[in-house]
Amino acid sequence: MATLAAFFTVFTHPELFALVALGTFAGVYVGAIPGLSVTMAVSILISFTFSWDVMPAIALMIGIYMGGVYGGSRTAILLNIPGAPAAIATAIDGYPMAKRGQAGEAIGITTTMSFFGGFVGIIVLAVAAPFVSNFALTFQPRDYMLLAVLGLLLVGSLAGESLVKGIFCGALGLMLGTVGMDPLTFTQRFTFDLPLLQSGISFIAVMIGLFGVSEALSQLHHIDKTPVRQAISRIVPSFATIRKHLPLSLQTSALGVLIGALPGTGGDIAALMAYDHAKRVTRNPERAFGDGAIEGLVAPETANNAAVGGAFIPMMTLGIPGDAVTAIMIGALFIHGLNPGPMLMVEKPDMFWFIVGGLVLANFCMLLFGLTGIKLFVKIVEMPRAVLVPLIMLLSIVGAYAVNNSITDVYWMLGFGVFGYFLKLYGYPLGPIILGVILSRLLDDNWRRAIISERGSLPDFFLGLVSSPLSLTLFLAVLFIFFSQTPPWKRWRGRREALRAKADPARPAAATGSEGGR
Amino acid sequence: MTGRRARRPGETVFTVVLLLVSLYLLWSAYGIAGFESLSSPGAIPLATTAAMVVTAALVLLKTAQTPANREETLKHDILPPMIAIFAGLLIGYALLLEPLGFLPTSFLFLTVAIRLLSKRSIIHAALIALFSLILVYVLFRIVFTVLVPPGIVPEGEILAWIRHLVSGKA
Amino acid sequence: MKFAPFVAAAIAATLALSASPSQAQQYPTKEIQGVIQWGAGGSTDTVMRAVSPKAEDVLDQSIVLQNITGGVGAIALNKVASGKADGYTLLMGAENPLLYKVMGLGTKDYSDFVPIDILARGTGILVARPDAPFDDYKSMIAYVKAHPDEVKFGSTGPGGLPSVVTAMIESVEGKLPVTFVPYDGDGSALTALQSKAIDVMPAVLGAAIEGIKAGKMKPLAIIAKEPADQLPQVKPITDANQKFAKFLPWGPFFGIFAPKGTPKEAVAKLQDAFKQAANADSFKTLMKNRGFTLMNINGDEAQDFMTKWQQNTTWLLQDAGLTKASPETFGIPKP
Repeated sequence: MATLAAFFTVFTHPELFALVALGTFAGVYVGAIPGLSVTMAVSILISFTFSWDVMPAIALMIGIYMGGVYGGSRTAILLNIPGAPAAIATAIDGYPMAKRGQAGEAIGITTTMSFFGGFVGIIVLAVAAPFVSNFALTFQPRDYMLLAVLGLLLVGSLAGESLVKGIFCGALGLMLGTVGMDPLTFTQRFTFDLPLLQSGISFIAVMIGLFGVSEALSQLHHIDKTPVRQAISRIVPSFATIRKHLPLSLQTSALGVLIGALPGTGGDIAALMAYDHAKRVTRNPERAFGDGAIEGLVAPETANNAAVGGAFIPMMTLGIPGDAVTAIMIGALFIHGLNPGPMLMVEKPDMFWFIVGGLVLANFCMLLFGLTGIKLFVKIVEMPRAVLVPLIMLLSIVGAYAVNNSITDVYWMLGFGVFGYFLKLYGYPLGPIILGVILSRLLDDNWRRAIISERGSLPDFFLGLVSSPLSLTLFLAVLFIFFSQTPPWKRWRGRREALRAKADPARPAAATGSEGGR
Repeated sequence: MTGRRARRPGETVFTVVLLLVSLYLLWSAYGIAGFESLSSPGAIPLATTAAMVVTAALVLLKTAQTPANREETLKHDILPPMIAIFAGLLIGYALLLEPLGFLPTSFLFLTVAIRLLSKRSIIHAALIALFSLILVYVLFRIVFTVLVPPGIVPEGEILAWIRHLVSGKA
Repeated sequence: MKFAPFVAAAIAATLALSASPSQAQQYPTKEIQGVIQWGAGGSTDTVMRAVSPKAEDVLDQSIVLQNITGGVGAIALNKVASGKADGYTLLMGAENPLLYKVMGLGTKDYSDFVPIDILARGTGILVARPDAPFDDYKSMIAYVKAHPDEVKFGSTGPGGLPSVVTAMIESVEGKLPVTFVPYDGDGSALTALQSKAIDVMPAVLGAAIEGIKAGKMKPLAIIAKEPADQLPQVKPITDANQKFAKFLPWGPFFGIFAPKGTPKEAVAKLQDAFKQAANADSFKTLMKNRGFTLMNINGDEAQDFMTKWQQNTTWLLQDAGLTKASPETFGIPKP
């Protein structure tokens, strides 16, 4: 009974209800603007809500978090500029839809699927938090490293026209992630004795440059073309559409929760992995991936919102942050006199159920705001390019500056903007660069920890790899995905599909040969 | 790897530059810790830069083999004057941002950019610039308290003054 | 023409207001920027975001906080040190800068700053995973010596708390044959401890309290002369070996600093504001819950504290062979 009462706290207290709603509303916009991040907004809120009680403070933060993770998809779809790293995969198929005038439909699907993913995340948090966090704790450095390798194999699906160029970009991203002072040993890497390189290259600056400025520069090619009129009639997806994608969205949500629950990995990695998963399991999409496939929106958006619930799992059960935002929330709980840790669930179960209730409400608010404010948002793309392009550039610059209040980040951002423009012209995919930067620390840190833990012995490392069930599973997954992208395997699968098509003429053969290796 | 398109103007030069940079980075990665151990901080940088060198070389090989695209020119399809101008504008903006401050620099940038692109009057451009700048300033500076370079405008003092006025303590 | 005197008076008043020598007394006339050396969500960040709102009330001006990370905090320190010394930019940092010079991480440290307030000091604690084959400090040392290179210690890079605690242990017990697994902070290292990726971790008390209470980690010893209020059952390390006493008390600390050359009036106002803020009950409770000892000192007292801290720690690290340059080079005498 007490549990139910705690769960319904946000619904029965008008001021808490309003704060969650307000937070979610603000979050959608924070998420949508590149350079404003949920992490930044939540840390400002710590001081802002200092004199408040703990519940209103947390209610506002929950709203911002939920709305912010979703908001990143808006600009990804409308402008090809992901508002946050977790929305990079969304841009791949969302932007082509907007270019065809289907922005309304794309946003509708995204919103519904974010809601669905968010819900799965919350359910797992509510019913299985201790179980999931214990599982997350079984991950050893070796397993994190394998997870990073698994992530890197996504280069195959993000590569576009040339796999070799994709690998180049992925490696470039990994290298960019290592620039600066190594956080483990304080060794200088690629700093060339320049103090400004010591703190490394801001990953957000790279992202804004590669996607924001390079996109704006490309738009200058067709500045005189009138913007595409967007049809905003079919916003809410039909029940049939939702049911069709139900199996995929369940899988990618589960993936999202788990990746979100692992300390050190979050929604950005989850979304990319889900995209790759969708590409592998979808036999015959209505449109090809990269050209506006619905599945390409379903997968990343369910995963990154499911990761929100996931990130709360280690936070509530162990006091360990699941990502940067939950790390700040732990600080907020401390400031308000609570002691987040393994005992919090035992001593203050009400807090747990209050947060679950808050997330549920935030999720509903997100659905509501997501489906209603579309007209206004779509107006943005219909603005004349002559105004839109300079504005994107201005926002990119302010956004890059805001990350660390550093003019150096602005230079990096501009540098990568121009570099990205040329990369795009010459057919290099930009996705793998960001993928590499995101995964760089995960791979580098955990590879070294794994080897050091085995006292530098490679044979011991491989022994550990095959003797732990978790590591073995991940290792086999790596091998499977790797070989499924190689030509002999694809030829074999292509033949099998052709045979099956002959046996059952109603089922068209999927164009596997061109799909996986594009 | 299906259906190679033709080589675009400048593509070979670009690939050569990528290869050279990759080689330089490989050398720099070797300088971090050499081949000291598998778990050294230089291990992953060495591996990634080596991958960059190999793939850049492969791309170069392929690029050199593909026929050039005769219809495209560097000036029209790769670097039209407008893009060069904008790249220049952006660099100018970045250089002026700190000494001149956020507000004047952004206003200048927006006005010039909108004027160049829309071919409407300068006053029209300035008005749009002013309006969008106010929006951006309110959102970033006031709502999210992101500090922007103040430069010559004492906006910190002005803001504090306005805040006090609003809170009735001035 | 009737307005002329008014206009003149108005102009004169404006000029007087804007250029009068009393300006320093009116400090602060605009918002103050607080640069936090460490990332959002870390303990420095939490402490600074908790102390600032009260100081804002006292100063009647807002304090805008921002995290500038990188280079073990050196990026933030250099940025503030090279900025204007007008009292509008403050550094909110931890103990690390006092080690920059000997660690080769930078040429500037807190000697380029005036301490506004040293808020609190942490205490170290040695924790192990719950199923580790030892239960206290003594049995751990015995086990480590009997099984060379087998026990995995978490570390956070040279100069971090784990490296200093390890240096103390090595200076007392001789070389420790253990494997050091590097992490980027004690948060992630303690997570690794709970997932059994490492066996022992020297951590700051506050980060380990809740885990110990829940039985997720096993306390071996407190790096202090007396037991801590928060965990009275854990024995101080001096119980196992009196030789540790000469290094103690030792612990990381948090403080707020202004660049040298900041006007005296501004420094005095800031010192007063933060002193009051750190004296607030809510802040005291927060510090206690997180296992920190409130210090709230400024002026000469703070300066002396830092000088002694720097002497002890740099020479400890020097003797353990962890430094890039001898403390002597920078005129830090041996304690």
